[in-house]
Amino acid sequence: MAWLIVAFVVFCAAPAQAQNYPTKPIHILSPYAPGGISDIASRILGAKLTEAWGQQVVVENRPGGNGFIAMTAAAKAAPDGYTYVMATVGDVAINPALFKEMPYDVDRDLAPVAMVSDAPMVLAAHADAPFKSVAEVIAAAKAQPGRISVATPGNGSVNQIVLEWMALNTGTRFQHIPYKGGAPAAAALAGGDIPLGILASSSVAPHVKSGRIRVLAVTMGKRSRFNPEWPTLQEAGVSEVDASNWTALFAPKGTPAPVIDKLNGEVLKILTMPDVKERFAGGGVDTIPSSAAELDARVKQAAERFRAIVQKANIRPD
Amino acid sequence: METLSNLAFGLGVALSWQNVLYCFIGCFLGTLVGVLPGIGPVATVAMLLPFTFGLGPAPALIMLAGIYYGAQYGGSTTAILVNIPGESSSVVTTLDGHQMARRGRAGPALGIAAIGSFVAGCIATLLIAYFAPPLAELALKFSPAEYFSLMVFGLIAAVVLARGSLIKAIAMVCFGILLGLIGTDVNSGVIRFAFGQAELADGVGFVALAMAFFGITDVVLNLEHKEVQQVFTSRIGSVLPTLADLRTCFWSIVRGTALGSLLGVLPGGGALLASFAAYMAEKKIAKPPRTFGEGDIRGVAAPESANNAGAQTSFIPMLTLGIPSNPTMALMIGALMIQGIAPGPQVMTERPELFWGLIASMWVGNLMLLVLNLPLVGVWIKLLAVPYRLLFPAIFVFCCIGAYAVDNKVFDVYALAALSALGYVLLKLDCEPAPMVLGFILGPMMEENLRRAMMISFGDPTVLITRPISAGFLFAALALLIAIALPALRAKREEAMQE
Repeated sequence: MAWLIVAFVVFCAAPAQAQNYPTKPIHILSPYAPGGISDIASRILGAKLTEAWGQQVVVENRPGGNGFIAMTAAAKAAPDGYTYVMATVGDVAINPALFKEMPYDVDRDLAPVAMVSDAPMVLAAHADAPFKSVAEVIAAAKAQPGRISVATPGNGSVNQIVLEWMALNTGTRFQHIPYKGGAPAAAALAGGDIPLGILASSSVAPHVKSGRIRVLAVTMGKRSRFNPEWPTLQEAGVSEVDASNWTALFAPKGTPAPVIDKLNGEVLKILTMPDVKERFAGGGVDTIPSSAAELDARVKQAAERFRAIVQKANIRPD
Repeated sequence: METLSNLAFGLGVALSWQNVLYCFIGCFLGTLVGVLPGIGPVATVAMLLPFTFGLGPAPALIMLAGIYYGAQYGGSTTAILVNIPGESSSVVTTLDGHQMARRGRAGPALGIAAIGSFVAGCIATLLIAYFAPPLAELALKFSPAEYFSLMVFGLIAAVVLARGSLIKAIAMVCFGILLGLIGTDVNSGVIRFAFGQAELADGVGFVALAMAFFGITDVVLNLEHKEVQQVFTSRIGSVLPTLADLRTCFWSIVRGTALGSLLGVLPGGGALLASFAAYMAEKKIAKPPRTFGEGDIRGVAAPESANNAGAQTSFIPMLTLGIPSNPTMALMIGALMIQGIAPGPQVMTERPELFWGLIASMWVGNLMLLVLNLPLVGVWIKLLAVPYRLLFPAIFVFCCIGAYAVDNKVFDVYALAALSALGYVLLKLDCEPAPMVLGFILGPMMEENLRRAMMISFGDPTVLITRPISAGFLFAALALLIAIALPALRAKREEAMQE
């Protein structure tokens, strides 16, 4: 009897032994509503993890409050390997620079697990806009600083960061017109309300096909594997600018290292499966298998860069 | 011709087994809540919204739409047999419908209501198919300036067309706008009136608000008065109207359909307004001998045709402009957004299977409703015997689950409770919740678009009047304001509302 109790106590004290982990359903929190990239990434990953481990993986959408609700819940969750959060670049690298009072601290509260997806963004123009290239956009902005309107999916979005970054590095200013999400911003660009936009390539894709929107450049450091014909901003003469909308899996700080390693290994395996890659590619999104250390480095680098841009461009939500 | 081929394409979508199933579920539920007094389509759509997450956009919208127009059918049953409007839009049906039942003509009354609804539904479906595309083409030309002016027009129309006191309607619209301002400002990113609550950073949940004002508050009000009603279930007789009835009603159905279709398109319109207007028009226009109020069958045919036509044409502004003309349509927009589809003119071109599938499903649905309501009317009547002590707690539970399930936030359940208390007080003060809900939805959109229009024009307010469509809406809004300010017209409005 005694050994049973001892076994039970040991079992409870170390609920996440890597060998038999997981022994109960796993929760992945998504800070965004169903349909967004964080949600889709969670669901694709969750379904494959359930298959691989025989434990149900539940995706919980906890949208709202700039992602604070889900991020805070993850930061405060028990570090037992049964709660994770599918954060985006905004949650871990932009909001900390943007908001004075943060309910969570990425470094202190969260442990990186694995990178998951990478969605390219583009600088795009309305078909009838007078801009045929990035150089013409910069020239126009220099001729009339602050008089060229650019649509983005919202205040504090990584898209806005790219816009300000572009302005800083070319010594110009733009008129930032934020929308409520990518779809309405893309519709405004397609309808010609706004001549320019910095949007996810998936948002502009249907309008590019119909000929209403023209892509001028991608915002990443290298060309997109889906549309290699689009130049990068750097090639077009805007130095340094390199950003995309990525998502990554994080655990509450204190989650046992063996558990994180096990999950990272499984995620790597899943992200290289052809059908998984295909599902992400359907939305114009790449998978980016990586180690936890690589994710950590990427978060730190992005946070530092974005903090500098936010300060220089004086972006403030309040 | 293109419209016909589009409709044929839509029929193909609507007739897939999955869509037929969801269309049936929608129509069935719609008839159910239509028959039951106390729960309306808004509450039902709100409750079912979370369950549509897992469906595709087409079956989700087809089902939710079925609930809305299905309720227009069901509402008349209760109105005729029990003299309680099952739906607010069947209020006028009680006037002549119940009188007919008292005279032993309940069957023909039920029959003509269903037939009128069916005819109206079919015509309205065609109207949507023909007029929605040109409207959508126009809407793509809408910039923020046009949207702002359109919303000004919508809000003023909501006030003018609201029932009851004008002052109260204005107050409720303003209150709705204030509630709508809670949350993150799109243009600056500032969080307003959230009192440091992360849960309020995205504003008050619309589902919680809708269920509080249209679901729970209704139930509480119903609990107040224990009315003993005579149910005419024993002698319904044949539900088929006589040939003479049909001849009498032909023009009433046509007029009701025309008026209902027109009013459904207007912001603030929809089924309710349509049925009132059709009844009043019929009283004036119909050929003598007129026995309205004493069981004139035309007093059933016209408003029942009108409310169904209005219910369906109110999809036009929702589908093409992304603008809700009433609370149910606002929920539909919510359903679209949950599916990741931004409502607006592009829905038609980018998601033709959704757009034409939904329109074609209305035909399928109307046919189902005819079957559900004519031969099976006896089944629905039995439902009127369900004791409220079982029904009401169930509604409460569904509302709480529905509010929670939107964002998985317990906070929204508390919001539901607080808003229900508020809604009860407001209803006791005779303040209509409908203008408030429109203010809640249109107010923030109006602000967002005005400020965006100003940003694009670099602070030049003349864009609002130099762009012709925008100027047109502002002019129409002004005309409405003048109309309501003129004493003669105001008296007319009050007289009309009295009836």
